[in-house]
Amino acid sequence: MSAIIILLISAILVNNFVLVQFLGLCPFMGSSNKVETAIGMSAATTFVLTLASMVSYIIYHYLLIPLNITWLRTIAFIVVIAALVNFTEILMLKTSPLLHKILGIFLPLITTNCAVLGVALLNINAGNNFIESAFYGFGAALGFSLVLILFAALREKLNLADVPAPFQGASIAMITAALMSLAFMGFTGLV
Amino acid sequence: MANMEALLAPFLSPLLALLIISVLFGALLGFAVQKFKVTTNPLVDQINALLPQTQCAQCGYPGCKPYAEAISSGAPINLCPPGGENTINQLAHLLDVKAIPLDPDLVEETAPKVAVIREAECIGCTFCIQACPVDAIVGAAQQMHSVIASECTGCELCEAPCPVDCIDFVTVDAEASKSPPEKSLSEQACIRCGLCVDACPVDLLPQQLYWFAQGKAYDKAREHRLMDCIECGLCHAVCPSHIPLVQYYQAAKLAIKDQDEKLQQALLIKQRFDYREQRLAKERAQIEQRRRARAELAQAKAKQSDLIQAALARAKNKTATEKSPDTQHGN
Repeated sequence: MSAIIILLISAILVNNFVLVQFLGLCPFMGSSNKVETAIGMSAATTFVLTLASMVSYIIYHYLLIPLNITWLRTIAFIVVIAALVNFTEILMLKTSPLLHKILGIFLPLITTNCAVLGVALLNINAGNNFIESAFYGFGAALGFSLVLILFAALREKLNLADVPAPFQGASIAMITAALMSLAFMGFTGLV
Repeated sequence: MANMEALLAPFLSPLLALLIISVLFGALLGFAVQKFKVTTNPLVDQINALLPQTQCAQCGYPGCKPYAEAISSGAPINLCPPGGENTINQLAHLLDVKAIPLDPDLVEETAPKVAVIREAECIGCTFCIQACPVDAIVGAAQQMHSVIASECTGCELCEAPCPVDCIDFVTVDAEASKSPPEKSLSEQACIRCGLCVDACPVDLLPQQLYWFAQGKAYDKAREHRLMDCIECGLCHAVCPSHIPLVQYYQAAKLAIKDQDEKLQQALLIKQRFDYREQRLAKERAQIEQRRRARAELAQAKAKQSDLIQAALARAKNKTATEKSPDTQHGN
């Protein structure tokens, strides 16, 4: 139990995928203009990430290893992730067309979100078992969500602030992300 | 042959594995598409609710709803001159895109207008009544027409069909919009000291409200209860940076009220427009029904006359055959 809690904390804070490992930066910068959008994006990514790490564990251990074709893992995982993202997109179009419209290209782009593929590959490198894989994926997704929502809230405030002209838009967002990354470095050594 | 098999062997298991994965997930997706089929699109209604419902078609689409549909499938949001900057901002907020200025090809945003008919010149042709998308013109054939000013959206659709050019458009006196105060010399930047928060007698967060008012984040301002501000001026009095906070709040409050009124009005106009559409559909159905009834009647009549003709022909034949032996006898 404590091992799993440590795994979660490590995935959420210490080795945060966005701010410490710099994975999945595209949706981090792209869909963080509004808190509601960020929450939608977080939910979609959490869903995909958790399921993808579980399904890719099953496929790796029960299909690729028996057939002795582990070198095929990257392609196989991408197929899994793409299918799950597509499924999420269908679900979202049904439940919230507005969110689907706002997220636009960033929704299918979860497929190429390196955090998702990264978790699947890291799970295998670390030799995690099924439960650990699932929690590692879930923790990574929680960390991503936490950072994305915090960042969106900051950007909402920034939109109202008197930012000097050369820093407006993407530049101030980059600086904010960098400062957040610095802050997250403070978690090193927590676990 | 054996050589060929040996060559193919390493490809078999990876192909098999990918095939299994693809078929499995393909089946899952196919099932999902069927199961979660989208029938209606509420997004169109959400967009439509923000449009001014003038139905003026200046955007190039035949009304507000078609334009809302176009926006939901990717049309630009800056094509609505009656809505102007306000509508563009609201759409941008809803869809989380950048607010862009009104399309320069379109007419400049102008003050709200209403149509007025110079009644002495009206010849009672009813063309303008048919053109009005919200049924705001009353009158009858050969009678003088009149515009119901409170229902008119100023869309100018009645101007073109009028054969005697007796329709004018007059601007309505819009309430002088309050713009935020000019920055005076004594006004300094907010230093976030929080004195205004302590001073506020109704426990608001004047400093937050100031940011929202300045950034035109009216939703946020309302969430932080800007409308509860009693405009007592205490926050201004204690502000060490001499920011005229209350003036910002007044401007924001007026803007919010204005926005609300416009949305309310758009809702009313939409109701009238929908009612007109219903009425027209009903009329079309009735005309169609009458036409069909007439056609059936004509058909029945034709059938009857056919019967009569046939009977006549038979009678003729009969007399002819009865007569012919006589003539033979005669010969």
